Amino acid sequence: MDIDDILREVDPTFHSIPREKRDLQELTRAWIAERSAPELLPWPANGLFERINSNIKHQIEKVEEMTGDTDPKTNFALIVIQTELERYRYLVRSYLRARIAKIDRHTLHYLSTDDLRSRLSEMELAYATRHQALLHNHYLSSFLSSFPANLQNLNDAAAGISMIETPDLESAVFIRLLKDTFVEVRGVDADGAVNVKESDIAILRWSDAKPLVEAGSAELI
Amino acid sequence: MPMYGDLGNKLVQHAKRTQNLAHLPPYQTELVRGVTREVRDLDKDVASLLEPFQGSFDPSADQATACTLLVNHLSMRRNKRCLLAYHRTRTDKLAELVWSGSDVLDLAGHQAGGANGAPAADAGASSSLSPQEEDYFRQYGDLLAAYKGQWTDIDLTGSLEPPRDLFIDVRVLKDAGEIQTEYGAINLTKNSQFYVRQGDVERLIAQGYLQKLG
Repeated sequence: MDIDDILREVDPTFHSIPREKRDLQELTRAWIAERSAPELLPWPANGLFERINSNIKHQIEKVEEMTGDTDPKTNFALIVIQTELERYRYLVRSYLRARIAKIDRHTLHYLSTDDLRSRLSEMELAYATRHQALLHNHYLSSFLSSFPANLQNLNDAAAGISMIETPDLESAVFIRLLKDTFVEVRGVDADGAVNVKESDIAILRWSDAKPLVEAGSAELI
Repeated sequence: MPMYGDLGNKLVQHAKRTQNLAHLPPYQTELVRGVTREVRDLDKDVASLLEPFQGSFDPSADQATACTLLVNHLSMRRNKRCLLAYHRTRTDKLAELVWSGSDVLDLAGHQAGGANGAPAADAGASSSLSPQEEDYFRQYGDLLAAYKGQWTDIDLTGSLEPPRDLFIDVRVLKDAGEIQTEYGAINLTKNSQFYVRQGDVERLIAQGYLQKLG
C-alpha cells in the first residue's frame, strides 16, 4: 500500500489537493517517520525527491528573476517565497542527514543483505559502500594488517556474538492510528492486545509498530 | 607486572575521554603499537602451544593447555575490539569535523596553537592526527563533497535548526572580508553588526567568524 492510497482513504478531499502540496505533505511525513524510527526506512521510490528537487530549482529561479525588481509588492512576495524555500530546504536537509546518521552508525548492517540495501537510495548506497571501504582501509593501515590473518575480519560471529551491530528494534516509538485497529503488543511482564481507535496515539515497541505502519494503519509521530 | 589487556584498557579510556572533548587529543601511536604487538605475541604463543600436537589437539585430554588457549584467544579478540573502538571513536570525531567544514590544515594548526600558544610553523610534526587519520580525513572530505554535490540546492551541511527568520542580526567576531549577497556587497569588519539573510552567512557562523544575535 502506497502513501497515496492511505491519504485517499483518510482524506476525502485528496484529489482536490495539488500535487506540490501533496509532495510537501509526503516529505513532512517521511521526515517525521525517519526521525522517529530506530532503523532506516525505505527510500521513497515514487520519484518524490526528483519532483521536490525540481520544485526547489524552480523556486530558486523565480527568486533570481524577482530580485532585480524594486516594486515593494514583488519584494514582499520575494520574502514569502524565500522563507518557504528555506523551510523546504531544511526539511530535505534534515531528512537526508537523519538517514546518513543511521547509515553511518550501522553501515555493515545495511550493506549486509539485498533487502536492507534496497532501502537506500542509489546515492546513499554509493556513499555507504565508499565510507565503509575508507574505514576498513583506515583500520587496515593503522593496525589490522599486522594482525594474524584469521583475526582480520570485520564481520566475524565467533562465540555467538556478531561483530556487526544492528539497530535496536525494540526501542519505543509513538504512533497515531489512521484507522480503528486491533493492536497486539509485547510487554516486559505480559503481552497485551487492545482495540485502538482512529487518531488515537499509542506508544509501543518499534518491532510491534512496524507492521502497522507498513500496512498503513498507523503513522509514526 | 602489566597484564594482558592493560594496554587495551588504556586505549578504551582514551576513547571514552575523547567522546567528551571538543578537540581531538593526540593519537596514541605507542599504545596502538603495543596492543598490536600483544596480539601478535599471543598468536605466536598459541601457535607454539599447539605445535607439539600436530593438529590433533584434544581439549578434554589436556585441560590446562585448553584453558591457556582460550584465555589467549579471548585476549586477542578483546584487544581487537579495543583497537576498533578507539579508531572508530576518532574517525567519528573526524567525520564530524568534516561535516562542520574544517579542513585538515586548520585542524593541525588549531591543535598546535591550543597546545603551546604559538601558531604551528610546520603543521605535520605537531598534528594530533596519525598520518592514516589525515588520509581518512581528506578522503572522507572528498566523499562528502561528492555526496553533497548531488544535492547542490539543499546545502547538506547547513544548519539543522529549523529556520525561523529569513533575516538575522549578526555580530562580526573576526574580520571576514567582503561577501557578496543579492542585496549587494557587505564588508565584514570586526565588531560591526549587520542585519543579513541567514542563508548568506550560515557558513561564516559555523566557522566562528560571525555570531548570531537574539
